[in-house]
Amino acid sequence: MTSNLSSIKTKPEDAQNGHIILMMEHINKSFGNNTVLRDINLVINKGENIVILGKSGTGKSVLIKCIVGLIEPDDGKMIIFGRNIFELKEKDLIEVRRKIGFLFQSSALYDSMTVSENLQFPLKRQFHSMSKENMNMLVKEALQNVGLAEAIDIMPSELSGGMRKRVGLARTLILKPEIMLYDEPTTGLDPITSKEISKLIQEVQKKYNTSSIIITHDIECARLTANRIIVMKDGVCAAEGTYTDLEKSSDEWIRAFFE
Amino acid sequence: MEKIILQQPQNETPEAGVPQIFSEAVTQSAFKKFFLEVYSITIFTLRFFKEAFKPPFEINELARQSFLIGYRSLPLIGITGFIIGLVLTIQSRPTLAKFGAESWLPAMVAVSIIREIGPVITALIFAGKVGSGIGAELASMNVTEQIDAMQVSNSNPFKYLVVTRVLSATMMLPILVVFADAIALTGSYAGVNLKGNVSAYLFFSQIFQSLEFKDLFPAFIKTFLFGFAIGLIGSYKGYNSYKGTEGVGKAANSAVVFASLMVFIIDMIAVQITSLFQN
Repeated sequence: MTSNLSSIKTKPEDAQNGHIILMMEHINKSFGNNTVLRDINLVINKGENIVILGKSGTGKSVLIKCIVGLIEPDDGKMIIFGRNIFELKEKDLIEVRRKIGFLFQSSALYDSMTVSENLQFPLKRQFHSMSKENMNMLVKEALQNVGLAEAIDIMPSELSGGMRKRVGLARTLILKPEIMLYDEPTTGLDPITSKEISKLIQEVQKKYNTSSIIITHDIECARLTANRIIVMKDGVCAAEGTYTDLEKSSDEWIRAFFE
Repeated sequence: MEKIILQQPQNETPEAGVPQIFSEAVTQSAFKKFFLEVYSITIFTLRFFKEAFKPPFEINELARQSFLIGYRSLPLIGITGFIIGLVLTIQSRPTLAKFGAESWLPAMVAVSIIREIGPVITALIFAGKVGSGIGAELASMNVTEQIDAMQVSNSNPFKYLVVTRVLSATMMLPILVVFADAIALTGSYAGVNLKGNVSAYLFFSQIFQSLEFKDLFPAFIKTFLFGFAIGLIGSYKGYNSYKGTEGVGKAANSAVVFASLMVFIIDMIAVQITSLFQN
């Protein structure tokens, strides 16, 4: 078998019909002489939660940054909602990005703004004519959805790690994305908060009917959130399956990941 | 069923490419690096002009940055200006006294401060305070992925972060220089009165009689260029910093060094152009 596993089942008309919302074809990326991604092929269906597992430095974060165009791969196609984003003009890329939410590893909250201003920032720039009342209502609703309604006027520096992740998630969800990308959402959190964040990811999928890619090396997070798991090793998709399948893998290296 | 991919990785090095890129950069010749940097700054500058005139405009952020860059610099610029005026007067007095030209002291100090010392010293302090601040702030935003977050939320981080800071620096430095000049002349008046008794009216009327339009206008114009260079270099260094805490320090440091150097280069060119027209 090769790493083309996922795309074998893919028909172009599926993407047109909206069953497949994201399709990667032969994605390669190198930094200098170091090849980080090698011939990555991946398909994500509507409403699906995919977890990408792997050790640090295996190219997981580079892969999801390719999805939003923060990093451009050397070659390959990234088809989102039936359009290859690497061939899009800036205006069209903005349209596609509008449907994608990204929760960064560090939460990436804007230090100089309050929680409320952090959430208003993307709203103001996407909906120029939105009234202040409407904006405040959306901000409150988004914060309530992540259980942080009381943190509205707090500065990011006053928030704990778990709260920062929640606010980061609220800032992403406020734009009602169809695809959610989570870059190590539980890293640096205690086991209880990690579990809360994992459950929040599940709730988001149900409530907003999003498709998600979750980059993690937290096996508990993977167990709670994944419909399908892809294990990456040195820039290639080394294995793919459900949590139960991979847990019983015949490959010792993959099994070790689940112990 | 689980699917195991048999394809084995060809490269056993698991780390991303940054160390390799860095080592490559180190081995590049200084000559090549210099031209690459010049090219990169040119592209950055052209992008600034493209974004600066394209709506929507970040007026609120521009006002906020102008407050932070301008108003917050007033105490430092004021204290420095006063000391410069005072010291310059005290140091110049004995030399002028030797030639019996002590009465020329206010005029000499005023021309020195307004034409050269005021703009250059204020710009250097501004580079140290504001240039390093912009460099460090943008670099730390880079490290903590805040710039990436703006980009994926369809905001234009260049417009929001760079254009506003460069414009604020360009607009605020001339105002700060006028303020510093006024305070420096006040310091000079204090210096004159340490060993004498000159009325404020006499002192300042001597200054205004000695100053001409050709003293004021070129000096004022070059402060816009100083402000633009400091804002642009601080933003460039921060926005393009290497990720990691080391990158923040390097961005702040190189922003000050490069901006200070640019102040002298611009000053040298401005003086040459001014003297061309005066001749």
